[in-house]
This record gives sequence, structure tokens and C-alpha cells, in this order.
Amino acid sequence: MVIDGLTSFSLLRFTAKGLARRRVRTFLTIVGLAALIFTYVTVQSLVSTLEVNLSGSVSSLGGEIDVWSKGASYPLISKIPESYAGIVKGVPGVSFATPVILALLTVDSAEALTAGVVPAQLHSLLNYSMVAGIMITSNQTGILAIGKALSATIGKGAGNSLQLNGAMYSVSGVYITNSWMDYSVIIPHVVAQQMIGMINGTSMIVATAQDSRNVNNVIGQIRTLMPMVEAFRSNETPSKVSPIFASLETIASDITAIVTLGAVLGIMNSNLNNLRERMRAFAIFKATGASYSQIIKLVLYESLLLGILGTIVGVGISYAALQFISIPIVQNVSVGIIIVPSTFLYAALLAFSVSFAASIYPALRIARVRPQEVFRFG
Amino acid sequence: MDEELILRTNELNKTYWNGPEKTVALDDVNLKVRRGELLALYGPSGSGKTTLLFLLGGFDKPTSGRILLDGIEISNMDEQRLSTIRRNTVGFVFQNYNLVEELTVLENVRLTMMFDGKPGEEMKERTSELLDKVGLVGKERHRPSQLSAGEQQRVAIARALANRPMLVLMDEPTGNLDQDNSRAIMQLVASVMRADGVTFIIATHNLEIVQETPSRLFLKAGRVATDFISHS
Repeated sequence: MVIDGLTSFSLLRFTAKGLARRRVRTFLTIVGLAALIFTYVTVQSLVSTLEVNLSGSVSSLGGEIDVWSKGASYPLISKIPESYAGIVKGVPGVSFATPVILALLTVDSAEALTAGVVPAQLHSLLNYSMVAGIMITSNQTGILAIGKALSATIGKGAGNSLQLNGAMYSVSGVYITNSWMDYSVIIPHVVAQQMIGMINGTSMIVATAQDSRNVNNVIGQIRTLMPMVEAFRSNETPSKVSPIFASLETIASDITAIVTLGAVLGIMNSNLNNLRERMRAFAIFKATGASYSQIIKLVLYESLLLGILGTIVGVGISYAALQFISIPIVQNVSVGIIIVPSTFLYAALLAFSVSFAASIYPALRIARVRPQEVFRFG
Repeated sequence: MDEELILRTNELNKTYWNGPEKTVALDDVNLKVRRGELLALYGPSGSGKTTLLFLLGGFDKPTSGRILLDGIEISNMDEQRLSTIRRNTVGFVFQNYNLVEELTVLENVRLTMMFDGKPGEEMKERTSELLDKVGLVGKERHRPSQLSAGEQQRVAIARALANRPMLVLMDEPTGNLDQDNSRAIMQLVASVMRADGVTFIIATHNLEIVQETPSRLFLKAGRVATDFISHS
């Protein structure tokens, strides 16, 4: 391929040699781009992981549709009549609907999420397996099941007794869900109603549609039928859970934008200094017949190569580092970072864009160099 | 235009402004150079020799006047076309060689060919031929700083000849060289002229070169002081 009389291979070879000769500058630019990629990938992955896990913490209860009281930004402060579960279940297209109470209560010396559920509907609600003992099966008071992580924290297992909100309970079994629910206790819904004074009430209703393609239609019907509640897809939970969470993505974007701007300005400054130092070489190129566009291409090819190297290093470091990073969600429970391949793709595009943007102005400037002035006046 | 003329200037003027201060670098310079000729431009410092060479080489544009290179007016050409002229029609040799320090001898010589998009094999052959011609075989991988001044100037000459230009402009090519190296350079110029019919214009302070050159032009304060080109 010939570009303006200059083969791209010779250009590539030429710029590669140039980069190899200026090792420190090349190294620093690659490190800068790698740091940008690392920041972007880490921030985005943290947000994604939080999103998935937070969604999972509520949605790990199962179901496709959540129904909360209108205006509630967190299920812990939501309160709706329990009878709404029956109304939701009566909506055409709904296959399952159950009330759930969520409360943050003291379990022995720890504070943990307490889920009040209808024991008969637990299997439809929660994907769990028992590590020891059995799950609660009736509305009997004084019995609870405990998540594995919480069990390990307080040192109580199946058959032991513990204090829930000041009252003595016996642990029927220890369950594992591989979600936030592992740091919780499950008690019967009616017991939870009495414990937190929510008689005939519930925090939320979790529902499932008969046909998952029909979820939006079902949500529309629920909203029409009960204008006083908020019905939404369970996977929309993160933005509903807290306005802070919704703004987390904005903060992540802002961080990315600031770091990107910093990278562009930093690399542009490095490019300008580097090209200023090589002004004489570029003047010689022009004197020996390099055209304006060839000089620009020389600089842009160089930044393209730096972009590729920075991306390879950055993606490699980010991937390796994310394997070792985990987020502590609640006491003693950490989740590994979820690696989303598209994040790496966007990071690579970002690094290329930064490298390219940071070289345009220096390239245009150096292409205007006048050999006769450089040779005469330096 | 006389077909024998490779270069002609008509009332060439170049004026520089430094704020309100006006400096006349060239004042109505008329010049005619025949194909295959060696012309010595002689004059004291600041006489306008380098300015004239830069104008003839398409580096700069005159304030007024015309430059006809091989019958084509280059004085009002755009930068794109001037870069083609610098690449293919005119070779330039500088007093301080102006080699790219980061590149080897081989790469420096190939520069113009690379910018011209010459195929690798052709570049390879031409570079070998040129290095043989300037006596630098075996020093292909050397950096300019590893060469003597005379060797560096020979690399610069090889580079200037790479794309087989019809005109080579040399600005004080022996200015930094001792007598032996200066003679060697001038012998090289003479052999290239004989072998390839290339036209040379040499700006110099070196009286010995001027005396040995059949065609001379004396510049003083931007004007042609002795308005003659004597042909042997």
C-alpha cells in the first residue's frame, strides 16, 4: 500500500525504529496510555460489578418484576399492603407473586439483612442450596435459616441458637446462594411482619411473568391497576435502589473524562516537546522532499504505534490486576470483579483516540516547519 | 526558453521584514545556468548566497521575480508541488551536512527515495550504487556521529543524488572540511557531473574552488556584483 508516495510498511518500520531509539519517551507514553486503560477498565468494572451484585442482592430473591411503594429508593423503606401480592398475582400473564419483607436487623453482635418470606414459596423465590440443616418450612416463630457467610461471621450454625433483634431463635439450617443473601437470615413472612411492626404489610412483591417476553406488558398492567406502587423490571433495581447508585455511573464517566483529558493534554505536551527536540530531523525530512501530509502521517503513525503498544500493555495489566481485586460488599463478604469483554474493547478505542487526539496538533505544527529557518536559526 | 538552460531567474528579489526594519537579501538577481554546468556562487557572508540557494531549491518563495527550473516556474508553486521538486528535481547539500542523527548512513541516503515511495529493491540498488560512488561502502550501518566530517558530507551528497536530480545545490559544502577533504568532495562533484550530467550550483567562500570553477557569480549585498557567467 502506497500513501502519498510513502509505503505504509516503510512508514511503520521507520516510526517503529524512531520509537525504539527514544526509549524513555516511548516507555512513558505507553505507561500513560496503560494507566488510562487501567483506570477506565477498573472504574467501569467496579461499577458493573456493583451493579450486577446490587441487582443480584435484591434480584437474587428471584422474579422478573419488583413492586415497591412509590417513591421508595430502597426496599428497606418500602411499605405496601400485603394484599397487593394477590392483586399482582391476578394480573393476566403473571405466574408467580409473593410478598417479601426486607429489614436490617441485629443478628447476635452483627447487623445483617433479614428477609421475611413465605416459606412455601421460597423455592420459587430464591436459588439456594443447603450447606447444613434444613430451610424453614413453616410459619413457626423462633426458627430461622442463616446464610453461610453470616454463619461463619457469628460462629453459629445449624442447631445453634442466636439473637435476632433481641429475641432468641434457633438455626434450622445454613444456606448458600453465592450472592448478598449469604450474609442474611431468612424468617417466615408473618414473623417478620410482627417483628418490625408491619402488620398486613410487606416491603415488596416479587413477581414472575408466564412469558418473559411479556414482562413490560405485565408491568404496564400493574401500574394501571395500582397507581400507588412502583413496578419495574428486577434488573432495573440498581438505579431504583438508590439515587446514589444511579449517579455512580455518572461519577465513573466523569472520572473517565477527567483522566482522558489529562492523558490527552499530558501526551500532547510530551509529543510537542518530543517533536520540538526533533525539529531539525523533520526539517531535514522536508528538505529532502517530505510533503506536508507525509510529515503528518509520520507523526500519526508514531502515535498509532504508541496506541497499539499502550493498549496491549494496558489491557494486559488491567486483566491481570482485576483477577486479584475484590469488592467487600458487606462484612466478610467480597465479590470478585466481573470482567466485561466490551469494557476492554472500549478501553482500547479510548487509548487509540487519546493517542490520536494528542498527536493531531503537534503533527500539524511540525508539518509547517520551514527547513530554511531551522537550518539558519536553529 | 533555451533548451540548454536548466535554470533561469528574472529580477529575483527577496526582502525580509523584522518589524519596521527591512532587509533586502536579494535585489534583482538574474541568473542563467546551463544543463550540466558547475556554477560557483561566491560572496562574503550575508551577500545572499544561501537565500538564493533556498529560493532555487524551492524552500522559500521570492518577494518578487521568477524562477524557471527546467522551463517550469517554481516561484509561485504551492507547498505540495515544491516538495515534489525538492524530492525529484533538486538535491541539496548543506554546509553542516544536516544528516538525521537517529538514522544510519543507509537510512539517511534512502530518505528521499522513501518519501518518493520507491520500491525496496530499487532503493537497495541505488543506495549501494551511491555509497560505492562516494566511497562509503562498509559504513552503511554507521551513524553520522561515527563518521568524519568529510564522510558525513559524502553521505549528504549521496542523499542529494538519490533520486537522480537534474540540479544539485550545495551551500558551503567544504566550509567545515580541511583542504584534502575539500578537494575530495570537489573531485566527487566533478565525477558525478561527468558521469550523470548533473548541474551543480555551489555557494562557497573557498577561493580555490571558485578559481577552479569555469562559471562564477559574485554576489554582494544581494546583488550580482560581477554580472557575468564565464564559460570555458
